[in-house]
Amino acid sequence: MQEGRVLPARQINRDLLGSILYSPRWFWGAVAVLGLIVMGGFAAAGLMINQGMGVTGLNRPVMWGFFIVNFVFWIGISHAGVMLSAILRLSKAEWRRPATRAAEVLTVFSLMTAMLMPLIHTGRPWRLVYWIYTIPFIPYDFARGIWPNIRSPLVWDPSAVYTYLTSSILFVLVALIPDLAVLRDRTTGLPHKIYTVLAMGWQGNPRQWKLQIIAGVLLSALILPVFVSVHSIVSWDFGMAIAVKPWHSTIFAPYFVVGAVHSGVSAVAFVMIILRWIYGWQDYIRHEHIDALGRLLIVVATGWFYFFVMEVIFGFYGREADEIAFRDFQINQPPWNLWFIFFVGLTYFLPVAMWLASSWRRNLWLMSIACISVNIGMWLERFLIIIPALAEKQLFTFTWYTYAPSAVEITIVAATFALVSMLMLLFARVLPLIPLYDVKEGDILKTEIQIGRRTVPATFRED
Amino acid sequence: MAESAHHSSDMWVFPRSAEVTEFVTRKTFTRPGPVTLAMALTGVLLVLGIIGFVMKAAQHGFDDHTPWGYYAAMFSFVFMVTSTGPLAAAAFRITKSHWRRPLSRVSEIFGILGIFNILLFIPLAIVLPTLNNPDVGHHELALRRSIWFEGPIGSPLWWDLFGVIFVGINALALLWLSAVPDMAEAYEKATGFRRSLYGMLAGFWKGTKRQWLIHKAGMALLGAWYFMLLIFVHFIISSDYGQSMIPGWKDAIFPVVYSLSGFQSALGLILIIMFILRRFGGYQEYIGISPFWSASKLLLAFSLLWCYHMFSFGITYWYGRTELEQNVLKYLLFGSYGGVFAGNFFFSFVMPFLVLLWNPVRKSDWGPALAGASALIGAFLFNIRIFVGSFNAGNVYGEFITEVPPPVYPGLSDILIVIGGIGGAAFIYLLATRIIPIISLWEIKEGLLYQKVDTFIRGRYLVLAKPE
Repeated sequence: MQEGRVLPARQINRDLLGSILYSPRWFWGAVAVLGLIVMGGFAAAGLMINQGMGVTGLNRPVMWGFFIVNFVFWIGISHAGVMLSAILRLSKAEWRRPATRAAEVLTVFSLMTAMLMPLIHTGRPWRLVYWIYTIPFIPYDFARGIWPNIRSPLVWDPSAVYTYLTSSILFVLVALIPDLAVLRDRTTGLPHKIYTVLAMGWQGNPRQWKLQIIAGVLLSALILPVFVSVHSIVSWDFGMAIAVKPWHSTIFAPYFVVGAVHSGVSAVAFVMIILRWIYGWQDYIRHEHIDALGRLLIVVATGWFYFFVMEVIFGFYGREADEIAFRDFQINQPPWNLWFIFFVGLTYFLPVAMWLASSWRRNLWLMSIACISVNIGMWLERFLIIIPALAEKQLFTFTWYTYAPSAVEITIVAATFALVSMLMLLFARVLPLIPLYDVKEGDILKTEIQIGRRTVPATFRED
Repeated sequence: MAESAHHSSDMWVFPRSAEVTEFVTRKTFTRPGPVTLAMALTGVLLVLGIIGFVMKAAQHGFDDHTPWGYYAAMFSFVFMVTSTGPLAAAAFRITKSHWRRPLSRVSEIFGILGIFNILLFIPLAIVLPTLNNPDVGHHELALRRSIWFEGPIGSPLWWDLFGVIFVGINALALLWLSAVPDMAEAYEKATGFRRSLYGMLAGFWKGTKRQWLIHKAGMALLGAWYFMLLIFVHFIISSDYGQSMIPGWKDAIFPVVYSLSGFQSALGLILIIMFILRRFGGYQEYIGISPFWSASKLLLAFSLLWCYHMFSFGITYWYGRTELEQNVLKYLLFGSYGGVFAGNFFFSFVMPFLVLLWNPVRKSDWGPALAGASALIGAFLFNIRIFVGSFNAGNVYGEFITEVPPPVYPGLSDILIVIGGIGGAAFIYLLATRIIPIISLWEIKEGLLYQKVDTFIRGRYLVLAKPE
């Protein structure tokens, strides 16, 4: 550990603010390409709204398709932020420092993207406005004298996700304040004015640092239950639906949470590799950091696999006809069986086999492949939970059907990936994606211990 | 003793390296009065337990499983705690947590109880009903629900037995491997039986670089293997002796809750033992506050996770509202065993949470030990609730639990069995501490190389080396 050298603060500022102060030549080209894909997605959504849900592959009984799969996927990705930032901050893991900001920002953008999915899935998004407000500040249900069904996912999900989104934004903002002050002091004109407002008078005096640290720790502790509740509640959208037997499982909540952490941390590792490559941050995102993420991922992946095995075993355990029919469909019937093999292989066996070797964890190409593999696998997991269960929801075989996504759905889903990538790039254009003060603090805490004839890297504990 | 800007002077302790072996071996080889008393007391409890077992066997035999509910609960409690104990050392070693050093051996010594667990398990293996229904009646299944489905050879009996045996052997191997350098070092100071035992078990150890490398790799591999094996055995024991005995109860999260109860209670017991060693055993120089502080955060996390998983089970069943789900909830949570569940919930979650919520309490030796004691009581009630419940839930070949059975209260033999099993485990543990140093000599000495207190700006802080 501690492979990097201690860099002067001036150089850290120059390197990490480079993406803001000096835009690379490729930047706007990349944003334009991603923007075009996003526009394509909006156009597809517009077409769907104009033509109706018939342009999608949704049917009876498969009324939840790509949009809901993608919703669960992006909610899952959002779990990276808290896992890396809050838990590693509380556990004082030194290697967290360069990863926290990117993880937190990915949380915010993936949550925003996730919430687009149910909105699009409704087919008539403006009805959401009716659902929330009819006239300014008067809720719809209140205005009509009826009350929302608090047992409905339509109440659970937005409550949980918006609480998480609000706390995540707060989390990012609190951690950003010292860096915003650095930017304030290095810009002129309008950007200077904006950074001045955002920096909230930060001078870096001991009292401000103390408050900032306390706020960070408190928010870390407070956000953890929110983080767990969000994906649990998303899982209960399925788990409480007793009409769909395979979904009514007690293990769904932790299974979803662990799966979300698995895909989220993999996504962060991949984002860090990309950032290192495009911005040349080799001194900050080092092999040791990717290696540590790889080791963490072995544990998370194995935890996920345990929950997965429990879910499958207890699916068969009841020996109930509709459950067995679903499992048969999911595991035996082509092409689902092929997807199932891909899903398990890509989510667990391939990446974990790669992460077991230290040299492979430190190879950024292989690590990228492993992380992408996990995310493809996790997307497939949600697909295989939702679609086959709905396709064979009823006991009567004449009500069984299948599902194939339409071009509209594929375009919208592809656009969400472009949207998150574009938002991350735009964020990097205005705010640092690696926390300057955190990196500097890590450097200050570095020291050495003499053991016999060897000098071993060491760290001052923060507490 | 080290002082810091933020912590009391005994947060981190740094005993003199040259005196570690002398001190710890002297402590191991002498038997102070309180330890002798505790051994005598637990020995008597063990004898009472044997008497209770004989009474139960003479009264009911082994043909019917229902009278053995309290025995199953006692076995599960002892097994859950003692088999999970060694995991603490293995896991914290893999994560390279320096604070683990004083608690490593405390947790590894639980490995010696692997043999005791195997012996306790044998009667349970005999009373477990077969998967095939010998006499299929109306509304009965020909093959009862279990994790073994169509029943591969020897299931569930032999698989469970082999599981418990493998866990026991693996825990013993972990203890032996970890204690080899200490036994080799203590050999010179030992006499009589101890000397010949150390010579036999660790005579080959010279402490060469190659031996240390093999030792280190072996510990990591064995630890990782033990973790996976233990989770598997928790799964089969909790399913075969708990879930599958209640007709129709299908709960994928139950094995997870069982393992979590194991983690929580084992860590709780380790903290209690550490507290006793520090306060009354004369190990203040070896056990600082740091391991209590760090382990208490984990204990808090386990308590929260236990509650979360129980909630996940409860809300799914409550929302399902099928007759079966309602009956399971009434039986295990709110009706027949409602009082036991209330106690279980209080001791496994409410009390540890309220105690460990406060940082000053976490930064003491008594706070984590108190929470640990609570977790231990909670785990005991958990096992009573589940296993007495499952052994008395009616026809195991039934399709579903259609009626909520009444609770079963313990008889004299049950009480003797329970106190005897727990007392026996404590007796064997105490006996083992007279032979194997309860503080890992090599880990403490290694820790002294990797840690020091140094000045940083105006305060004194701990410095941790990161050699890898």
